[in-house]
Amino acid sequence: MKKINRTYVMGVFFILFALWVLWQTTMIPERLVSNEPGPKLFPYISAFGMILMAVISMVFDGKRETAENKEGAAPYLDQAGVKRLVLIMAECLVFCIAMNYIGFWITSMAGMMVFIMTLRAEKKINLIFAVVLSVALGSVCYFGFTRGFHIPLPKGALWTALGVKML
Amino acid sequence: MASYISALGTLFEPMNFIMLYLCSLVGCVLGAIPGLSGGLGITLILPMTFALSTDLSFAMLIGMYVGGVSGSFIAAVLVGIPGSAASIGTCYDGYPMTKKGKAAKALTIGITGSFIGTMVSILVATLCSTYIADVALMLGPWEYFSLCLMAITMVVGLSNGSIFKGLLAAFFGLWLSTVGADMVTNQLRFTFGNTNLYGGINVICLLMGTFALQQVATSYAKGNLEMPEVEAGSLKGFGLTLKDITDNMKTIVVSLGIGLGIGFLPGMGSGIANLIAYGQAKSMSKHPEEFGTGVDAGVWATEVSNNAGVGGAIIPMIALGIPGDATTVLLMSAMTIHGLQAGPMFIKNNPDLANLIFAAVLVSAILIFITELFTKRWFPMLLKAPYHYLYSAILMICFLGAYSASTSMFSVYLVLVFGAIGILMEFFKMPGTPLMLAFILGSKIESYFRMGCSYAKGDITSFVTRPISLILLLIALWSVVGPLIGKLLRSRKAGGK
Repeated sequence: MKKINRTYVMGVFFILFALWVLWQTTMIPERLVSNEPGPKLFPYISAFGMILMAVISMVFDGKRETAENKEGAAPYLDQAGVKRLVLIMAECLVFCIAMNYIGFWITSMAGMMVFIMTLRAEKKINLIFAVVLSVALGSVCYFGFTRGFHIPLPKGALWTALGVKML
Repeated sequence: MASYISALGTLFEPMNFIMLYLCSLVGCVLGAIPGLSGGLGITLILPMTFALSTDLSFAMLIGMYVGGVSGSFIAAVLVGIPGSAASIGTCYDGYPMTKKGKAAKALTIGITGSFIGTMVSILVATLCSTYIADVALMLGPWEYFSLCLMAITMVVGLSNGSIFKGLLAAFFGLWLSTVGADMVTNQLRFTFGNTNLYGGINVICLLMGTFALQQVATSYAKGNLEMPEVEAGSLKGFGLTLKDITDNMKTIVVSLGIGLGIGFLPGMGSGIANLIAYGQAKSMSKHPEEFGTGVDAGVWATEVSNNAGVGGAIIPMIALGIPGDATTVLLMSAMTIHGLQAGPMFIKNNPDLANLIFAAVLVSAILIFITELFTKRWFPMLLKAPYHYLYSAILMICFLGAYSASTSMFSVYLVLVFGAIGILMEFFKMPGTPLMLAFILGSKIESYFRMGCSYAKGDITSFVTRPISLILLLIALWSVVGPLIGKLLRSRKAGGK
């Protein structure tokens, strides 16, 4: 299978992104204050900088990477690795969504358990210890922040809608 | 002096002292475990400090910082894998010493070297910072703009991999810093009507995403969750005599100087200091051929220099508002969160806190030294910490920290976005430190540039007509162009041969 040149992908990605930044920057209204260059200058500098560096990198680093790929450089991740990456990121996304709907306390305990089960890979673990750790850490964090530091954490939109009062 | 003693008094208040000690220990453990670091610990406890007093917060953060650097030699000595970049050089001779059955001696050299490095460097920092800040007060926005720019380009020039990719990351970080209301005209930029972005991107979200989440996700994806078995040999006894120290005094003094000097330069942290000190120790030795086979001087050089980098990195952070390494970038973020402005006025406006930071480094170094000496026989246990528990807790704390930073779910989703960006950057082989540094210094660079233009009535040439500003700009330029020219010359030489 032909390996993709990551530098070329990066270059195209950042050039497109920088073009979008340039387009958005033109829409910032200009309000000049006493001889100073205004709010558009730095977004312009960063966008042009990104384009310039992306092009130079594609020319120099891209060429080198093509040669390395021909010599058989190791891929960033194998197929199983990609699956693992997608799995852990998906779990994080579910954690964030659940945090909003069922609140931090329950999500943290359940989420911790799910993370442990995923990250353990093939290893055997003590299930009771994992449950105790998840419950303990989730509870300590929740009550430590809400009661100890007086920082409110999400109680869960679902419980609010159902009229259930959470701790 | 009175302020320093008062800071020491504050540190010895029971709560401050206990938390300083605890965080130093946690930092030490994180530093010892390859893949984790004191910087990660700082990132994770940052949100916790919102609700704490500034004194307690900085006692905790400094403890984590010093512990993180100090503990990184443990894995390097016991299993030959550096806990962090600060101890790469320690593997060269520390691990061979362990294989020869001299683990106790190698660990004691690491412990003592770390202590000497941190102690001396922080004493120098305490004495020098005020004078450096006084000089810095004479500078204007032109010089500060050039100084900040120099800090970023030096990091880019020294970061692993391609300089162009480093610069690309820096420009991306600069753009991220422009999101939100413009500080001069209050004009909104790239907010798309989202009120969560009016104040700009929360630094906690960036750190949690690109630093913590990315690390956990990629380590899991690559299957890097196993540690080799420890060949500790005998860990009994002190393993070091006074003669061992006096015999290596020259190496210790030179490594101290290297660590301090390199730590002071923006972007050049302990990761570079230990390698340069190792090379220097080898070149000074009468038996350079023995280096790499388990020589005491090799471990002394790396451990003294990387810890001396702590004091060295704190000087520019306190006196100039420029972070000396990636971890001091995080400490500067903590200052911003607590409403403090790092820079030349910091010592004048907050002498008690400045002294508290210096004193915290000193006390933390002493506490770690004593603890490590008495617990070194249990060090192999640190390396048995199960990653699946550690990483699960880190993930949960990431999202908790992001939410508590702004009490908004938007920040939590932002962590995911930055996590994905961090993974993409690693895939593209782009270094992360230039992005972080450009983001932190971006708003400063912009405000100094616009102030400079405004003061000079729109005359942009004032940045190159002022001598100090010009020198700093030339250094900035050289730090990017220099390595490129060096590379070109090397490839021509190789081609010629």
